[in-house]
Amino acid sequence: MELERLLFEQLHIDNVPPTYHVHAALFRDVTNAKFLHEQLLARNSGFEYAFVDATAIFSRTQLLSAIFRALTGLINGRLATPNVHSEIVLSLSPNNNIADAYRRFGITPGLTQDIIVVKTWGHLSENVAGKPVRLTDDEISKTTDWTKVCKYYKLNDLPVVDAEKDPVARRVMLERLAIMSMALRGV
Amino acid sequence: MGISPNRLRRRIALGCEGSANKLGIGVIAHEDGGEAVVLSNVRHTFVSPPGTGFLPKDTARHHRAFFVRVAKQALADARVSVADVDCVCYTRGPGMGGPLSSVAIAARTLALLWGKELVGVNHCVGHIEMGRAITGAENPVVLYVSGGNTQVIAYAEQRYRIFGEALDIAVGNCLDRFARTLEISNDPAPGYNIEQLAKKGGRVLLDLPYTVKGMDCSFSGILARADELAALMKAGGVGPDGEPITAADLCFSLQETIFAMLVEITERAMAHVGSKQALIVGGVGCNERLQEMMGGMAAERGGSVYATDERFCIDNGIMIAHAGLLAYETGFRTPLEDSTCTQRFRTDEVFVKWRR
Amino acid sequence: MAASETTQFAPPQVLTYDPAAAPPLLISQGAEGRLYKTTHVQRDRPCVLKYRPPKPYRHPILDARLTKARITSEAKVLERCYRAGVRVPAVYALDLVSGWMMIEWIEGMTVRQGINDWLGERPEIPPSPEDLPDDAPLIDAMKRIGAAVGDLHRTGVVHGDLTTSNMMLRPQKNSQSSGQPEVGDGPKALEGDVVLIDFGLATQSVSDEDRAVDLYVLERAFASTHPRAERLFVNVLEAYRGAFKKASSVLTKLEDVRMRGRKRSMLG
Repeated sequence: MELERLLFEQLHIDNVPPTYHVHAALFRDVTNAKFLHEQLLARNSGFEYAFVDATAIFSRTQLLSAIFRALTGLINGRLATPNVHSEIVLSLSPNNNIADAYRRFGITPGLTQDIIVVKTWGHLSENVAGKPVRLTDDEISKTTDWTKVCKYYKLNDLPVVDAEKDPVARRVMLERLAIMSMALRGV
Repeated sequence: MGISPNRLRRRIALGCEGSANKLGIGVIAHEDGGEAVVLSNVRHTFVSPPGTGFLPKDTARHHRAFFVRVAKQALADARVSVADVDCVCYTRGPGMGGPLSSVAIAARTLALLWGKELVGVNHCVGHIEMGRAITGAENPVVLYVSGGNTQVIAYAEQRYRIFGEALDIAVGNCLDRFARTLEISNDPAPGYNIEQLAKKGGRVLLDLPYTVKGMDCSFSGILARADELAALMKAGGVGPDGEPITAADLCFSLQETIFAMLVEITERAMAHVGSKQALIVGGVGCNERLQEMMGGMAAERGGSVYATDERFCIDNGIMIAHAGLLAYETGFRTPLEDSTCTQRFRTDEVFVKWRR
Repeated sequence: MAASETTQFAPPQVLTYDPAAAPPLLISQGAEGRLYKTTHVQRDRPCVLKYRPPKPYRHPILDARLTKARITSEAKVLERCYRAGVRVPAVYALDLVSGWMMIEWIEGMTVRQGINDWLGERPEIPPSPEDLPDDAPLIDAMKRIGAAVGDLHRTGVVHGDLTTSNMMLRPQKNSQSSGQPEVGDGPKALEGDVVLIDFGLATQSVSDEDRAVDLYVLERAFASTHPRAERLFVNVLEAYRGAFKKASSVLTKLEDVRMRGRKRSMLG
């Protein structure tokens, strides 16, 4: 249990009821993605997590935005998927296609090696066989697959992005565009 | 009320209104202190058969036929003699040409016959001034809603300025025409009968377009959709709950939608000019549901709604007498050769000399 | 609600969850909705929460439908603009059921305040001709306004309520190059990027008429808010002309719209 507490960081998300606890951790070199995926398919209640493909993630804010949207849906009693964890995966997506969202932002057996695990409410677990690292922007960006991210959020061929030469400003712009697509999913 | 520069003595005006299907003649007195006292308010309405509207020619004929009778009644009710009257006021516009000119000619005749001054009055300004006088609202945002007009008005620098208005047909016209679609009685007024039917509705809210653009709005799209739904009803169609659509459902949905629009544009104008008072004038202003909704909005803003009953919100002669007398007291006269009438006459064309 | 509390609005529920957070700051309340300053997910992400409270006078079904449609429309317009590179706030989050939207916090002051501050420092009549104040900073700001509106229109959006209160002057971030420390009292008046805000009445349109009306509304608002700077408004239009290809036909239309004014003929 002590180890778990070290691995999982409790996330603070603004404007969420304090009764909602959210924990997350980033795992490298995960070897049991296939097993984890099977547990999800089997709806194993011991595995109620959001397993997120870390290569589709580029910042904490992006992740927090998705969690915030999922929790908003939970509070309103309007989830589009079976539970808040699957809703977090859907909330990363810019479109309403649930299968597509799972495929792109969830885990793929045999492929996914870097996984962000999010757990709301309740206990932690050591079911992920991988190397835990701190969930920081630096750590996240190490595995970000920008080709993927730009494709998913339709960030390619935007003159406004290309025109921005300052890499920091460019990143902020990309992040905002992606978060905006997430926020506007389905509207 | 009644801000006038020289309050030397009691002044009396006779007002003649006939811009649409109501012929109204009334007598008002402005007392030394400035307060307005209604001495008489007589009205005769031309009612057309269900399914039809009032045509200008028939309406003008009605006004000509009843003018003398109504005028005599107004003088008798007021218990004043012709000698007591200071001026004869009449509606210069806006309105329907035929009825307007019938009443203008009659008013001119009275003025010549009695040797009195004539005062031509803007119909909308008449409604506003009467509403202010009756309710005591000092500087409200005015929603003027009738068969011919839909305007959101606020006073600024000597004019009643139009902040928003209907871009196509007036709200009352929309209601009247829908009453025709349903072949509801025009007696006492189509809008009144829609209101009574709407009170029996409320089970469902049928989907109608909601068209507000800033402080303007439009009603023709809503009417077209309501007409379609009425045709659906006649064909035995059902609403969203699977039950047959009724005329009550239609009237309810129509009222809820268009009144929400009117309240919204009024609220926007109130926020814009920083006023907490809303005054509803014009025939549609009698509607209790509209008054209730407006009251809810005004209360939320920490203010209140002011409305009058059918004696004053429906077209009448007394409002013409009152607004005319206010102008008369500032020295305004309409010379005989200018005593025309006009179908188009915007509220903001009038120089409001009697207010600061 | 007690009568005495009618103007004391309760904040939307989403801003009441966090007991540790500072009380939500109400920035403004219009007929459209109320604006609060708060944060999006993290304390270092300031944002504006635009809340459209339920209107109790309206039928609940109609009310929910309108709230949803308006938040949706505003968010879509902002996304469209942002993607096209028009300077507008980014959308962070929205909740169509509860009636709110979180958008990027824009630093700086409104153009209205910027112009008024700048005009306020200048004497109305210069003591002598050689003391004639230099209008260059104001003219430059006007050109940035014109370019911003041009960018917006090029994107196929008309704002619907252009005023100098609905534009911000956002200080440009000093790229932390070898620059000397900021001397004096920070950024000069009227400097910064013009960022358009409050798209509550915006619509998607490419018609000359709608664009011209948008400019006309700005022109009138400008004249009434900044009568002393009215003569410089031509600079807004000049910069607008250069912003996109169809701008000149919009400006031709603007002449018509001016002539018409609000003298739309009315049938009684």
